[in-house]
Amino acid sequence: MVDGRVSATARTILRLSSVVAGLLGWHYLAVVVVKDGGVLASPLEVLARAYEMTVVTGELYPHLFASSMIFFYGFGLSLIVAVPLGFVLASTRLAWDYANPWITAAYTAPGVAFAPILLFWFGIGTGSKVAIVFLACSFPVLLNVYHGMRVVNREYVELARCYRLTRWALFRHILLPASLPFILAGVRLAVGRGLTGVAVAEWFGASEGLGYLIFFAGQTLNVPTLFVGVAVFTGLGIAGFEIVRQVEKYATPWLAGGPWK
Amino acid sequence: MKPRPAFTRGAVSVVAGVAMWEICARALLENELLIPPPTSVARTFWSLAASGELNRHFVATATEFALGFGVACIVGVALGYLMGRYRWVDEIMEPWVAVLSSVPVVTLVPLIIVWFGIGMFAKVVVVFKVTLVAVTVNTSAGIKSVDRVWLELARSMRMSSWHTTWKIRLPAALPFIMTGMRLGVGRALLGVVLAELIASEAGLGYLLRESSEMWDSPKLFATIVLLVAIGLANFSLIRRVEQPMAPWRRTAEWSMDA
Repeated sequence: MVDGRVSATARTILRLSSVVAGLLGWHYLAVVVVKDGGVLASPLEVLARAYEMTVVTGELYPHLFASSMIFFYGFGLSLIVAVPLGFVLASTRLAWDYANPWITAAYTAPGVAFAPILLFWFGIGTGSKVAIVFLACSFPVLLNVYHGMRVVNREYVELARCYRLTRWALFRHILLPASLPFILAGVRLAVGRGLTGVAVAEWFGASEGLGYLIFFAGQTLNVPTLFVGVAVFTGLGIAGFEIVRQVEKYATPWLAGGPWK
Repeated sequence: MKPRPAFTRGAVSVVAGVAMWEICARALLENELLIPPPTSVARTFWSLAASGELNRHFVATATEFALGFGVACIVGVALGYLMGRYRWVDEIMEPWVAVLSSVPVVTLVPLIIVWFGIGMFAKVVVVFKVTLVAVTVNTSAGIKSVDRVWLELARSMRMSSWHTTWKIRLPAALPFIMTGMRLGVGRALLGVVLAELIASEAGLGYLLRESSEMWDSPKLFATIVLLVAIGLANFSLIRRVEQPMAPWRRTAEWSMDA
């Protein structure tokens, strides 16, 4: 067993028993040790609360809807702006050199730092939230588009020159497909960052949304709701990743099983 | 030899950008609150630094970060090693690591505050969580990817398992461990600032919150400038450290999942 030769059944059993033991331990901790609903709720309570929020009262859906709107506006806008901008920066050396310090600074700084300024500028409505998500999503996409274009094999470009491809054909048939894996990796990163952005945005002066739900539940010590909110957020993140991964499979089939899996 | 044009252009761009900012803020905007000119940001920065206020908050954030990061690296490498080495540990830990790594840390911050209060310890926990996941996952991947040939060589030379660990497995996993740390640094910085922003008594996130609540935008901008500087310093430091730590591996200039 020590040497890495564990049969498939044994592995499933180990995994399952680890999950079951963990949940039991959590339940025990909540019910017997802590005994304070304002600090830790047992998994059963969390499940009951999730059922209540999704089926009985349906109070989860407005929050889910509000957050999704913000996410899709910010995310969509960032794709519309960052992808073309990345191409432009990659194709003109001069523009990149001038933009580089600003982009690096904005990308490496912890993203929340800019949230208060955006609130100053756009108020506490939808505008500032979309702006926060937009900013969070843009830089990973922008930088991945840029670097994806830069690492395109020179020989392909030379070949295209030999065939006298037009600039557009060069872009459409060589540069774009070659940099597509990078672009999609950037999009995948942007999904995660965007969701973080949604949560941050909804903490300041929001009255609905999943971020607000979590924040408010934390302040009122409503731990089951807090857990449900965290779980929904996690589910959205996983779903987003999975969607981008499917797009990757479809759009870049030659990489199936490659380093990005 | 001419100086590197990229560097010159970058410097020109920064200087020109700051000058433009100053001119626009002074000439066009009547209200300094929206975009304070760089000179007043610099003045505020200087007075904050001179009064020791900036220092106090910086030290608070740095301490939280260092504690959480340091402990998480040690625990993460040990846990990742066990996961990479023993299949059964891997199977037992895997579901939990997967859950932890897919929960966005920002959503955990309110829960961590409920559990650990608004003091320093809660922020240490935030940093710990983020770094632990990144380091554990990468260490385990690194240990698993050790070339079997080296292990066979070690066996044929009758190296003790202790020796194999120190001389072969860990060095081979080092680039992966460094990647985990690099990922951890960025996310942990975000996490700690965010946690301070939500509830705290000190730290750069606290400074952000305080200045934005008091509509003190020069102070807000001064804090942001400091955070940007920390981000940049991290970025260049890691670039410099990562390569010499694993000179046998060619690090790409850019990794997609930075």
